[in-house]
Formats: sequence, structure tokens, C-alpha cells
Amino acid sequence: MHKLLPLIQNETLKIWKKRRFYVIIAILLALIPIFTYAELKVAQNNADKFTDWRSQVLQRMTDIENTLSSDRIPEEWKRSRRVLLGQLQYYLDHDVDPSAPNAVTFTRGFLSNSVTLFIPLLILALGSDLISGERTSGTIKLLLTRPVRRWKVLLSKLCALVLYVSLTVVVTALLCYGISGLVFGYEGWGLPIFTGFRMTRDTIDSSQAHAVPQWQYMLMMAGLVWYSALVVAVLALMVSVLIRSTAASMLTMMATVIAGTILSNMSSSWTSAKYLFAVNLNLTGYLDGSPPPIDGMSLSFSLVVLAIWGIVGLIVAFGVFTKQDILN
Amino acid sequence: MVAMSRSRLLWPLLAGLTAASTVCLLLGFGWAVKDMLYPAMAEVGPELATKPETDEALPLEEATEIRIVAFGDSLTKGTGDTTGEGYVKLAAAGLRDKLGKPVRIINNLAINGMLTRELSEKLELGSGYRQAIKGANLILFTIGGNDLFQSARAANQGRPLSALQIAGMASALTETMDGFGKVVQTIGSINPDATILYIGLYNPFYDVEQLRSGSLEVQQWNTNAYAILHKYPKMMMVPTFDLFEWQIGKRLSEDHFHPNHEGYKRIAERIVSALE
Repeated sequence: MHKLLPLIQNETLKIWKKRRFYVIIAILLALIPIFTYAELKVAQNNADKFTDWRSQVLQRMTDIENTLSSDRIPEEWKRSRRVLLGQLQYYLDHDVDPSAPNAVTFTRGFLSNSVTLFIPLLILALGSDLISGERTSGTIKLLLTRPVRRWKVLLSKLCALVLYVSLTVVVTALLCYGISGLVFGYEGWGLPIFTGFRMTRDTIDSSQAHAVPQWQYMLMMAGLVWYSALVVAVLALMVSVLIRSTAASMLTMMATVIAGTILSNMSSSWTSAKYLFAVNLNLTGYLDGSPPPIDGMSLSFSLVVLAIWGIVGLIVAFGVFTKQDILN
Repeated sequence: MVAMSRSRLLWPLLAGLTAASTVCLLLGFGWAVKDMLYPAMAEVGPELATKPETDEALPLEEATEIRIVAFGDSLTKGTGDTTGEGYVKLAAAGLRDKLGKPVRIINNLAINGMLTRELSEKLELGSGYRQAIKGANLILFTIGGNDLFQSARAANQGRPLSALQIAGMASALTETMDGFGKVVQTIGSINPDATILYIGLYNPFYDVEQLRSGSLEVQQWNTNAYAILHKYPKMMMVPTFDLFEWQIGKRLSEDHFHPNHEGYKRIAERIVSALE
């Protein structure tokens, strides 16, 4: 541990001084009110149309059943609808509103929708230039000529990055809660949310389903978002070691993450795509019981795949960084 | 010097915040994994929040607002109406004009291709239907068409129609009538105060020589259905066969089975006349 803590302190402060985190907060401050407004419109529209949430859920179920009876709908799509139908029926039977508008529900929705793309992009903004940035500005020489082992330099950068990943996830959640609460009210912590639905080939198995209070659900969800983000961060660090230009390294990672979201929307027949890290980022989907993008994926599968990618990323990053020559 | 002290504060602050976040998220992550992989089976979960406030509507005459719940098959859904309105929306608009009361369609729960048996199941099992029916003071429904014409319709998609299908209709008729009686009884017991209108059947194949006699089965159905509804003073049947049999080209849509916009408009007019 000798000298590591001061190094982490140094790296953490360096990231802070780059003001990237301010930009992240600014982006969140700009985006969240937009989504809050959209959500408010939806809630108002529903309040106009339906006397209470039960008729709204019932109507939604009827609409789904009608699309299911059509022959022209692709089978995969039908499968996910059937799962949704089972869940809605479960909520109705237990008399719980699955989408009561409040700040906690909004935050939950925002986090689960941002896990595949938005949060990773924020992380990339922080992590993509950790090494390549030092190279571009030439400060890497100063860094590496100090009497500190190279792996310690990289480790301190990694630690700082992990801390920022945590901070980003937490700040996103807090800003969501704070801003949307102005409109929807700050309640909803105790609302029961069902989790533990299991997908079989065609139907949904709700025998393991159980209710957890929404605050616990939020915590679990944030934890899963954090895990995804962590793997993205590690890979960003690796790419930033491998590619000399900051712009190129950021672009590479962005392209990968975006390709992953596209693939998970269309690749269900290419089953080996499930070993790509970007297809596995949507961990929160397992929590709310939406069907995985590709058959055979489960929470444990995704966790393991992501872990392997992360570990390989670390090995490559440390291996290359400790050996490579620093040239101009 | 000020900048110096600020950055001295910054590190402990950042370190504290980020470390706390990390611990918090790690905890959440662990909890999620534990809960997903080893779900606590015996866990009852938190006390379920809201009790259904039984929002029972007043009878139609006394109510200040007409609340419609519609269910049944594709006719109630409005299939064939290119404007997408269907008789439910048209009737709601007509009632708004005639009665001068606000009219609200609470739910249109119709599902394409629904059979009498399926509707019966929905009413028995789905807690949702009961809730919706309780909250309505006007209930509109159609059912039976798919039971009767199932064989004829299947034939319509490929093979030519034949008189054989009419024989199938006759046997479907007796089987389905019991189911219809059960449906009516269930609706009546869920909400005895609501006004309930059943939209009668018509023979969409009146213009097809071999299938014209199907109208007789349809009439038999309508008669039996009327007899069942007749026991309930709040229930009524709205006949439709005369609207269509001579006007198939004008009032049926291109699938030769469902009404078009014009056809639905006529049905809606009937409903309004029954209620005004």
C-alpha cells in the first residue's frame, strides 16, 4: 500500500480538475427535466383517459392481447409481450400499481433505461482519456519518470476511475430523484415492486416472484447499473492504454457500446453474440423480468461474461502499460 | 492561499463521497445477486398498498356521467372500421349529444377473435374485468359471432364456402348458448345496477347463395340470446341483422365479415335510440 493512497488522491483530483464531472452534471441537469416533463405528460394523459390505474393496466393488457392474436407479428416480439402480459396480470391480481407516478418510480425507470447506453457514455467521457490524455499532452513522461512503479500508476488511475463510476451512478440517481420529485412528489419508497419473474421458452414463471419495497429495488438496481458501468470503465481504460489518441479511444468504445445495444435488439438468431460484453450490459432487465435479448442469457451468465471481459481488460491494460515504450 | 485550502478540503470530501457511494452500490449489487440467484421463497413481501376502492357507479338514469365499459369480440373492437372508431366510440359520441351528459369510455376490452368460452374465462378469473364492470353504468358487448362463424370463416380464407359449414353452425349454436347464459349471469351478478346492451348477430354471408340459410341459425341464436337477457330487467338486445342483410356491399368492410364505418354508425344509432 506504500504510496498508493497519495497516488489515488492525485489521480482523483486530476480528474476533478479536468472538469469532466461538471459536464456530466450539466448534461444530467439538462436531460432529466426533459424526461420529467415527458413523464408528466404521460401521467396527465392517463389521468384524463382512465378513472384509475386498474382500468389503465387492463386496457394495456387488452391491447397486448390484440396484437398477440395477429399473425403478422414476429414470434420473438410476441414472446416478450406474453411475458409483459403475465407481469401485468400479476400486478393486477395483487392490486399493485406498476407505474404509480412518483419520484422513486421515475428514478427507477430512468436508471433501467440508461444502463445500456447513457451511463456507459458518461463513464466513457471520464475514462477514455486517462492514459491517452496524458500522452496527448505529454505529461505521461513526467508521470512515468517519477520513482513509482508503472503498475502502481495505472492502479491508482483505475481506483480513481472506480470512485468516479460510483459517484456518477449515485449522482444520476440523486438528481433524478431531486428533480422529478418537484413534479411527482418525493414519496414511493415503500411501494411494492415485484421481482424474480423467470422466463421459460414461451411463458413467464411467477412462482418465484416476490415483492420488495421500492427502495430496496432501487438499491439493487443501482448496484447492477454500477457493475455494468464498472466493466465499461475498465474496458475504456484498456482502450485508452492501447490507442494513443483520446478521440480515437473514445470513439472506439462508443462504437462498441452502441453496437451492443443495436445487436441486442436484432441479434436473437445469432446466439454467439451473447458473449459480447455490450450485449450483456442490460443487467437491470433481469431484475424487472424482461426477456433477455438472446436465449440462454441469465443474470449469472451476464455477470460472468462481464467479469471475464473486465478481467481480460485489466490483464491487457496492465500488461501493455508496464511494458510499452513511451515515445513521442 | 484560498485555492490551496479549497483543494485541501476537496480531497476528503471527494474521497468520502465516492467511497460511500461505492460501498452503497456494492451493497446493492450484492443484494441484487443474492435476491436473484437465491430468492427468499417464504418472504411475503411488504403489505400491499392500496385496497381497491370499489368505485361503483350510479345507475344510468341517476348518474351525472355515463361510464361505458365494452368487451367481447372484434365487433366491439371496431375491426373493419378504417377510421378506427367502431360502434363504441360512435355510440358514446351519440349519447353525449342526445343526453347532454358527459360520456366516458372507461375501457374497451374487446379482443379480436374472442370466443364465448374465452369471455367466460376472463369474467371468472381476471380480477380486472370485475373491477371494470363494477365501475361502469353502461355495458356494451358482443359475443358469439366467432363461435358461430368460426368454421365458415376458416373456410373463407382458402377453400370455397359450402353449405357444410352451416351444419357446423347449428351444432356450435347449442354448445355455445350455455356459455352465453353463463356470461350474462356473471355480468348481471357483478353489476346488477348497470344498463347492459348486447349487440345481436347478423349473417355476413347473406349474399352468398349456399350460406344464405345461415341467417336462420343467426336468428335462432338471437332468439335464444334474447330469452336469456329477458330475465334481467336491466339488459337488452340491440338487433342488427336487418341493418346488414340487404346492405352487405355498403355496410360490410372488405373482409366480408366485419361492418365498415357506415355499418358501425348504424349500430351506434340503434344503441343511442335504445337509451335516449
